Amino acid sequence: MSSLSTWQYDTPIKRPLLTAPFIFFSSLAVIGVLLSAKRLIGGLAFTGMNDDFAWGVWKTFNVMTLTALGSSALAMGIVVWLFDQQQLHSVMRTALVSSILFYATGMFALGFDVGRPWNFYNILFIWRWNPHSALLEVAVCMTAYAAIFLLYENLPAFIPAKWFARIKPVYPFMVAAAFVLPAMHQSSLGTLMVIGGPKVHALWQTQMLPFFYLMQAIVCGFASLIVILMVSCLAWRRPIDVPVLSAIAKYMSWVSLAFIVLRYVDLGIRGAIGLSFEATRYSAFFYAENLLLLVPAIILLNERLRRTPRVIFVTSILTALGGLLYRFSPTTFAFRAGGNSMYFPTVTELLMCLGYISLAIALFIYAATRYAILPDQLSPDDSLGDRAGRSLTADETSALHHQLKKD
Amino acid sequence: MTLSRRDLLKTAVVCAAAAGTANAAAEAAAPADALGLLYDATVCIGCKACVAACTHANNLQPETALSGGIWQMPTDLSAQTKNIIKVYKSADGREASFVKRQCMQCVDPACVSGCPFGALQKTKFGIVSWEGNQCIGCRYCEISCPFDVPRFEWAKFNPRIVKCELCRHRLADGLQPACTEVCPTGAVTFGTRQQLLAEAHERIRKNPGKYYQDRVYGELDLGGTQVLYLSHVSFSKIGLPEAGDESRAHYGSKVHEVVYKGMAIPAIVYAGVAFLMRRRFKAHEEEARHEEAKSGRPAQL
Repeated sequence: MSSLSTWQYDTPIKRPLLTAPFIFFSSLAVIGVLLSAKRLIGGLAFTGMNDDFAWGVWKTFNVMTLTALGSSALAMGIVVWLFDQQQLHSVMRTALVSSILFYATGMFALGFDVGRPWNFYNILFIWRWNPHSALLEVAVCMTAYAAIFLLYENLPAFIPAKWFARIKPVYPFMVAAAFVLPAMHQSSLGTLMVIGGPKVHALWQTQMLPFFYLMQAIVCGFASLIVILMVSCLAWRRPIDVPVLSAIAKYMSWVSLAFIVLRYVDLGIRGAIGLSFEATRYSAFFYAENLLLLVPAIILLNERLRRTPRVIFVTSILTALGGLLYRFSPTTFAFRAGGNSMYFPTVTELLMCLGYISLAIALFIYAATRYAILPDQLSPDDSLGDRAGRSLTADETSALHHQLKKD
Repeated sequence: MTLSRRDLLKTAVVCAAAAGTANAAAEAAAPADALGLLYDATVCIGCKACVAACTHANNLQPETALSGGIWQMPTDLSAQTKNIIKVYKSADGREASFVKRQCMQCVDPACVSGCPFGALQKTKFGIVSWEGNQCIGCRYCEISCPFDVPRFEWAKFNPRIVKCELCRHRLADGLQPACTEVCPTGAVTFGTRQQLLAEAHERIRKNPGKYYQDRVYGELDLGGTQVLYLSHVSFSKIGLPEAGDESRAHYGSKVHEVVYKGMAIPAIVYAGVAFLMRRRFKAHEEEARHEEAKSGRPAQL
C-alpha cells in the first residue's frame, strides 16, 4: 500500500520565518496576549457576556468549537493506527502539531475566561473532584491529554531521535491514552449543554449531544487536516499528494453522512423534526449546518470528484464550517431559545479570540519552517530524494514536479 | 484544608459509592433537616421590605441606578441583589401578582451537579452554599440552573458567585433569614421543608379554588425545591418554569453517569486500544527497520 503514497517523509520548510503571513498572525497574537494580560488586572465586564449568556466566545468558540478542528490527531490516529492505514502515516505529524496548537491556545483562552483562574490548583486534589460534573471531566481530561499524551506524541518531531529512544517503549500505551482521553472530553463537551435542558433549542438538545460532539470532532479533524495540508502546500509550494488527501476526504464524507443519518433518527425519535419546518432562525441554522455537511459528503462519494484537489479543498472547508456551526449552535445561536437576552462579543473580546487563533497559526508557521512537520514528496525510487531526509530545494522540487507530470 | 488519611478514605468511599449508585443518588430526596421558605403570592403586598433586608443582611451594595441614586430599584437578580420582588400583570390588567425570586435551594441542584471542584455544595439544612476557595469562576452554574439564579460579579477582579444562601450566617447565630423576619404580612415564611409543605397543603385545603391547580410549586417540580410557592395565577406567568418533575441534574448526567460508572467503560476501552496499539506499533517498527535498511533514511515516528 505504501507505494500509493508519494508523501513519504516529513521535512522542514527551509524558508525565512519573517514573511508577511507570519508577521500578520504574530502581531494579532501579540495584541491578543497583551489584551489578556490587561484582562487579568480587571474583571470581565468589558466582554459581551452577561448572566444569561455566561459563556462567551473564548469558551464556546476557542474551546468547545475549535478543539474539534484540533481533533485531527484523534481522527487520523484512529485511521492510521487502529485501522492500520500506514500509507497515511506521513501526515500524522501535521495532525499532531496542529492539534496540540488548537488545544494549547484553547486552554490558554480558558485561563483568561474563568473568573478565578488561581483556584485551578484544586485540580490537583482528587478528593475535591465532583464526579458528576461533565465540566470536571473536560477540565481533567483535556489538561492531561494536552500536557502529557499529545505532547509526548509530538516529541519525535522536535527532539533528537536518540533522546526519544529512551521513552519510546511506552509509545503504544501513550498513544492508546491519546485516543481514549480525547474521545472522553470531546464527548463531554457535548454533555456540558445537556444539563441546560430546554435552554438549548429542541433541534439541538438531546441526550445524544456527547456522541454527536465526538462525531463532529472526527469530521472536523479530517477536514481541518486536509485544509491545513493544502494551504501549507500551496503557500510553500510543496507537492500535493492527491491520493492521501482523497483517502482522508473519503473517511470525512462517511462519518459526515453517518452523522446526518443519526441526527435525523434522533430528531425523529424525539419527535422534534417538525421544528425544522417552522420558519424560525433556528431552522435556518439547522438547515445551514445540514447542507454544509451533506452537500460536500455527497460530492465526495463520487470518485472522480474526490480525486480533484480543488473539490477536496472546497468540500473540506464547507464540511469544517458545518461541523463548527453544529458545535457552536447549542452554546450560542440555539441557547436561550425564544428568550429576550442576547450575546454579542465586544471588539476586545473578539480581538482576544482571534489572538489565540493567530497564536496557533504563527506557532504552526514557526514549527513548519524549522522542524520536520509537513510531508514531502520523495521519488518512489529515491533517485530525486535526499537519502538523509533533507528537504528538497526549490529547484529540486520543481524538477520533481516536472518528472511526476511526465509520469 | 488539612487532609487526614481518614478524610481521604472517606472521600474515596464516597466517590466510589457515588459512582456506583449514581442514578439513585441523582434522584435524591430532600435531606431530613431541610429548611426552606414558603412564599404565598396571594398574601404578598409587594412592599419589598424583604429586598432591602436581604441587601442589608448580606452586606450587598443596593442597586440605585434607576432611581437616580435615591432608593433601591433592582430590575432582576444580580451580583448585588440576591432577592427580588417582581410583578406580573396580564395584558388586560385584570390579573396581577407579585412574585419573590431567590435561590430555590433545589433538592437535587443542577449547579451542584455541574460544579467541577465542588464550590457549590448542598450543606447543612440542605442549603446550596458557595465556597470561594474551590470556585474557578467558570460560571457553569449559570448555564445549568433552571431558575437562572446564580449571578457573577462581572466587574470584579476577584469575582464571586452571588446567590441566596438562605442567610446561613444568620441561621448560625440562631436568627431566621432576613426576608422572613421583616415580611409584614407573612407572605414569606421560614421553617423546615416538611412543616412548610404541611402548611401549604393546609392553606389549599382551607381555601378551595383559591390556589392555582391546588398545587404547591416546588413539592415535585424539577426534582423538588426547598423554597415552595403558592399562587393564584399560573406558575409560568410568575416566571417559575413548568418543566416536569425530573431534576435537571438527573437529566443532564444520565449518559455521563453510565459511561463513567466506576470508570469501567473507559478502562475497558483503554485496555482494548492499548492491546491493539501494541501489535500495530510492533508491526510499524518492523516495517520502519526494513525501510531504513532499504533507503538509508532514519525512519520517522
